[in-house]
Amino acid sequence: MKLSINNVKKMLRVVQATRDVEINCEECYNKIEKFVDIELSGKSAEEAMPLVEEHLQRCSECREEYEVLLSAVSEFKDP
Amino acid sequence: MSKGQQNRNTDKGLTPPFTNEQWITLLSDSTNEKAVEELRRLLVRGLKPALYKYVDQELDQFVEDVAQDGILKILDNLESFRGESKFMTWAMKVAVSEGLTELRRKRWDNVSIEAFKGSGSDGESGEVRSNDFSTEELSPESSTAQKMAVAKIEQMIDELLTERQRTALKALLIEGLPSFMVAKQMNTNRNNLYKLLHDARKKLKNELEIQGIDPDEMLRQLSE
Repeated sequence: MKLSINNVKKMLRVVQATRDVEINCEECYNKIEKFVDIELSGKSAEEAMPLVEEHLQRCSECREEYEVLLSAVSEFKDP
Repeated sequence: MSKGQQNRNTDKGLTPPFTNEQWITLLSDSTNEKAVEELRRLLVRGLKPALYKYVDQELDQFVEDVAQDGILKILDNLESFRGESKFMTWAMKVAVSEGLTELRRKRWDNVSIEAFKGSGSDGESGEVRSNDFSTEELSPESSTAQKMAVAKIEQMIDELLTERQRTALKALLIEGLPSFMVAKQMNTNRNNLYKLLHDARKKLKNELEIQGIDPDEMLRQLSE
């Protein structure tokens, strides 16, 4: 495979962020509502559910789903 | 009790906002149209501001359709709600997934096959172009070091990864294609695709460690 410098850099960053244990998209989907509730309660969801946070950093589609869900549920948050 | 709340009273005499247990009880009763209507109202209220930037036109109709599709899925999957979050957060998640799936399908429908055809592991879009290596500001040593670094990574990918891993890596990381589309084209699903790529990333990371290559150092070298 032939790569440009930018693609090699992209590849290195992704490889560098790789962990032995990661959750997949389905596992993230099954936990994301809890993650959002923790976040909206003002606590650190990142600390409480680090595997979810790491997956969201890696997976743009799950990240998009999380951001839309957070925005939607924020509508119900007490002022 | 406000007039709005009175109108939203359910047949069981419960008034929103409902607890998790109340939602499950009310929605488990297939004849309780008022509870379903309350769910629809809340889904629309949340979805509209959350999806407006993703929808070009007819936002109201799109959100209504997503809410309706979401309700069907929510009712079909009530038993999978484990009570680990607020019910509405879980329900909204189901609806959001429906909405984004539809939007992605529309967004990528026309380009999917052509885009993927160009993303084979030996496609052109990731190839090195002569202007990738700037010779104006780099010393000959630095330029050579960059070329060697790129060659090293290319070699690792070619020698360690399977053809399928290379195809996935290129489509997702280099071409930036969405995983649902790549999964479809590779006759798999997003979870298996994630595992395929995770295994590929681990192989490359291990090899870097074995060869004593510090990714940070290599990144610095390539950014000169």
